[in-house]
Amino acid sequence: MEPSFKKRGTCHLFGDEIPLDEGIMAFKFAIERVNDPKLLIPHLFEQVDPTFAGRVKPGDIVIAGKSFGCGKPHIQGFVAMAALGLGVLCQSMPHKSLRRAVAAGLPVLTGCVGLTQFASNGNEVEIDFTSGAARNLSTGIVAQFSPLPPILQDILAHGGSAGSLRAWLQAHPELAAAHVAPAA
Amino acid sequence: MMAGAGQPMTAVQKVMARASGQAHVAVGDVVHPEPELVIIHDGYVESARAELAKLGYARITRPERVMFVTDHEVSYASQRAVERGRNIRRIAEEWKVGHFFDVGRGGHGHIYPMEAGHVRPGMFLFAYDMHCTNFGAIGAVAVGAGAEITTVLATGTLWTEVPESVRVELDGTLRPGAHARDVGFLLAKGFTQGSWDVDHDNRVIEFAGSGIASFDLASRVALCNTLTEIGVANVVFAAPPPGLDVSEAADFTSDPQAAYAGRVRLNLSEIKPQVALPGSPDRAADIEHVVGTPIDHAFIGACGSAMYEDFAAAASMMRGRRIADRVRMFIGPGTNAIAQRLADDGIIQAFIEAGAMVLPPGCGPCAGGAMAPLGPKEVSISTAATNHSGRFGAKDGEVYLGSPLTVAASAVAGRLVDPSQFFGR
Repeated sequence: MEPSFKKRGTCHLFGDEIPLDEGIMAFKFAIERVNDPKLLIPHLFEQVDPTFAGRVKPGDIVIAGKSFGCGKPHIQGFVAMAALGLGVLCQSMPHKSLRRAVAAGLPVLTGCVGLTQFASNGNEVEIDFTSGAARNLSTGIVAQFSPLPPILQDILAHGGSAGSLRAWLQAHPELAAAHVAPAA
Repeated sequence: MMAGAGQPMTAVQKVMARASGQAHVAVGDVVHPEPELVIIHDGYVESARAELAKLGYARITRPERVMFVTDHEVSYASQRAVERGRNIRRIAEEWKVGHFFDVGRGGHGHIYPMEAGHVRPGMFLFAYDMHCTNFGAIGAVAVGAGAEITTVLATGTLWTEVPESVRVELDGTLRPGAHARDVGFLLAKGFTQGSWDVDHDNRVIEFAGSGIASFDLASRVALCNTLTEIGVANVVFAAPPPGLDVSEAADFTSDPQAAYAGRVRLNLSEIKPQVALPGSPDRAADIEHVVGTPIDHAFIGACGSAMYEDFAAAASMMRGRRIADRVRMFIGPGTNAIAQRLADDGIIQAFIEAGAMVLPPGCGPCAGGAMAPLGPKEVSISTAATNHSGRFGAKDGEVYLGSPLTVAASAVAGRLVDPSQFFGR
C-alpha cells in the first residue's frame, strides 16, 4: 500500500487522556500479543465508543485532546488504526506513544491547538500530514498545525518501521534468507 | 569544531553522545546510538523472530551484542511455555546471539546483567522491556525500545531523541520503616499530578543530593524502577553507588553547569511509608489511609525489589513470626547468585519458617500472573513493578504496591500495616 500523507475523511472526536490499554484497544490483545489487524479492528475504541468500529471508514480522521494514547505504549490500537488508513490529530501525545504510532505506520499530528474550533464530529476534513495544513471541507475553516519531525516523516514515508526494515534489507542483502554466507 | 562542543552536558547527553560517536549532543537532537548490548526477554523473542522472518530477515546485525534473558515465565507454568522455551533455544542458535541466559540461568534481565558486569557504568544499551531503567542505578543508560527492538536487531540501532533531564535532589535520611520505594511512589504521584510544574514525559529523572550517598544499589534500583511507568525517558543517578569501582568507567556524571528542565527537592526524613493504590504506581497514599485492609496474597520480588538487601530488610521483620493464616506469600530473589547468598545467610530459611514460598529468580506474578497469580476479588500487597488491572492475572484482583518492609509486615499481620510499628517509633 502506498503511504498517503494527505488524508480526506470524516472526523471522530475524542476527549482527553484516551489510554492505549482499555481505551484505544482492550489490554487483553496486548498481553496476548495479537498483531493481526483483522482481529483488532472490530475492537477499536470499544471501551470509549462501542459504535465506533461500526461506522469508521478507511481514511477517517481521529481528533483527540491531551495525552492521546497514554499508559503503557502497547501497539495493538495503532496497528488497527494504521490498517484502516486513519490519521490522528491531537493536542498532545506521550513521546513513546507517538513514536510507536508512527512505527506502526499511523500518521499523527500532535501539539495541535484549537482542535475543537477546527472541527466537529462528522465533519469532512482534509489533512496534509507532511505540511500540517488542515482544511474543514464541511465548514470552510482552515488551520495550520505543526508538521511531524523529519525522522518521523521518513518512517511514515516507508509506511512505518516494517517498510523501513524492508528497505534496509534491500540495502543489506547479507541479512536475507536467500543470501548464502561465504564459508568461514 | 562541532556545534555545541564544550557546552555542558547532562549524564544522559554524555552517554548518548559517546554511543553516537559525537563530541556533543544537544537536547532534541535525533541520534542513532550504537548499543553495547541489546537485551530481550523470553516474552518477546518469538515475536521479534516472527516479525523479522516475515520481512525476509534470516540474520540480525551484530548478534554478538544481543542477550536473551529468561525471567517472564521461568519455571514453565504451561505447555505453551515449554514450547516457547524450545523456540527460544532454536532462535538463539539460529541468530548466533552472543549471550543466552536460558531458564534457570543468570536471573532477572533487569538485575542479572548488572550483577554479572554485562551492564557497566556509562554504558548505552537498548532493551525490549521498559524497566531496563534499573540500570540507571549504576549510571548506565538503557532505552526501552518496546516493539521497535526489531529495528535494533535488524539495523543495529534505533533513532533516539536526546531527552531533557529533571534534577531531583534528595536530602536527609529515611526514618526507620520508610524505604526508597516509598520515595519512588511519592515522586511518581508528584510528577503525574504536576506538583512541581515540570513535565516528566520523555524526560530523564536524575537523582542527586546529599541523601543519595546512603542509598545502596538495591535502594537505587528501587527508585529507578518505581518512576519508570509514568512515562519518563529514563532514570539515572548522578553518582555511583557506594562500593562500585568506576575508575575504568566512561564519564557518566552531569557537568555542574548542565541545563535542566526543572528541579525538585525532597527531604527524605519527612517521608512516611506509602502504598500505591490499585491502578498504577503513581497512585501513592500514606499507608495510614489503608491500614487494616485484609490481604490474601503477598509478594516480595520483581525487577524493582529483588536484591539481597531487599530480602534481608524484610526478613528482619519476619524472624520468629509466622505469616497470617489466610495469606499466601511468595518471594522471588532477583538472580541465582542473590538466591544463593540469601540461602547461605539463613535469610531464605527465615522466610520459609515464616510460611512463605520461594519462586525461581524472575518476574514472579508481575508478568501477567503466569506464576503465583491473584484470584478475582483477592487483595495483594507486593513490590511488583506495576499494579494495573489484570497485572497479576485476575482483572478484578486488587493489587497494592509497597516496600519490602510494608509487604513483610502486612503478610505477618494478614492486613495492610505500617512497618514503622516494627521499629518502635
